[in-house]
Amino acid sequence: MRTYELIFIVDPRVSDEDVVALTQEYKQMISAGGSEISTEENWGRRKLAYPIEKLTEGKYVFLGVTSQGGKTSLPEVEHRMRQNDKILRYLTVRTDEDIKRAARRKPSGRGPAGTGGTGAMGATGVNDEPVDGDLETGEEV
Amino acid sequence: MTMSRPRKVFFRRRKVCKFCADKIDYIDYKDVKLLQQFIPERSKILPRRISGTCATHQRPLQQAIKRARHLALIPFTTD
Repeated sequence: MRTYELIFIVDPRVSDEDVVALTQEYKQMISAGGSEISTEENWGRRKLAYPIEKLTEGKYVFLGVTSQGGKTSLPEVEHRMRQNDKILRYLTVRTDEDIKRAARRKPSGRGPAGTGGTGAMGATGVNDEPVDGDLETGEEV
Repeated sequence: MTMSRPRKVFFRRRKVCKFCADKIDYIDYKDVKLLQQFIPERSKILPRRISGTCATHQRPLQQAIKRARHLALIPFTTD
């Protein structure tokens, strides 16, 4: 099973109803492609961290998508967004692999911290080495 | 036989990876508050040697920051 996250920023001058209609259209495209919409969040108006196309605000829409593998209609949705001037930005991210990898890391999470501790002890051991060297030269003489 | 030499002791606070310490495994690009801790005034990504983040977590952190930038959640730069 694959999960995706889809975020797009709509021009703030577009009315809320139109944003909903647009979201509906994309959702239909996604479900027509054999995927399911797991979550839908409308973040509403948000200030942009930097101006995009001279606009300082944008309307954010977030969609969570689950697919059973194989083909999805996400490329078509992206293509559609690219052509729409009302969409300032969009981002599609596949998340299942990253989340799975993060879950696998969990048990070994304490490992690196432990090795770091022994590493510090090794560093203090280095300081003792010159002392040993002095003793050895003493034996040779 | 073994003489104990006076050794200089350095007191330096050991830097700990925030993500290891807080057990954050998946670094979400939507979590602006979290990412903001790793972008100082100039909005550059804080290097590992400063933040103490481990390599395993710095990589996804970097990815998350770049994604957040693309979505205008955090700035590329401040002027």
